[in-house]
Amino acid sequence: MAERLANRLRAEREFRGWTQAELAARVGVSRKTINTIENGVFVPSTLTALKIAESFERTVEQLFSVIEE
Amino acid sequence: MGDVELVERAEHLGRKRSQLFFVLAMVFFAGQSLYFGAPDATRDSVPRVGAWLILVCLMLLLLATGGFLLSGRKVRHLLNDESARANRVAAQAVGFWATILSLIAVYVESIFDPVTLNEAVHIVGTIGVGAALISFAVRERRAHRLG
Repeated sequence: MAERLANRLRAEREFRGWTQAELAARVGVSRKTINTIENGVFVPSTLTALKIAESFERTVEQLFSVIEE
Repeated sequence: MGDVELVERAEHLGRKRSQLFFVLAMVFFAGQSLYFGAPDATRDSVPRVGAWLILVCLMLLLLATGGFLLSGRKVRHLLNDESARANRVAAQAVGFWATILSLIAVYVESIFDPVTLNEAVHIVGTIGVGAALISFAVRERRAHRLG
């Protein structure tokens, strides 16, 4: 069974009114990286996942979850 | 320059980089028609081989560093962040497989028709480096277009 990493980045970002560039600047990565993570194309490293969670003041588990397809 | 401005600058340069890599790969491939179109006597002249070697080294340097000419440490860091590095690793894997497959093709071809060492190096080197460059450019362009 295939597994996929789902995330709530877009919802959390839009809730705060942040652009992808603003979130990228807070995390210290490119907008493209945020974009590919949001779209499920790129699976972030633990370090980046922790930094994203810290930016949103959320836990990694609140932002990312594994979905079985 | 603020952090968001740095991100936007990196975004702009990243798009330019993917376009440039694609064009460079095309120019690199097109340049090989000059090599194989030249008469045998002048094909392996020192200036011709030297120019190709310099071009290959430049392409490899671009692939290895993701754009060593780009200025600004912070912008360079953003340009070569983890998604760009992942794309580069995947592109290098494509380059590896293209090299091995072209090597096998040249080896089989040499059974039927003699291939000189210089010709073989040109074919294998061009396909390997060119395929990696195109792969990186396509992956980056796709990533920029998402969303």
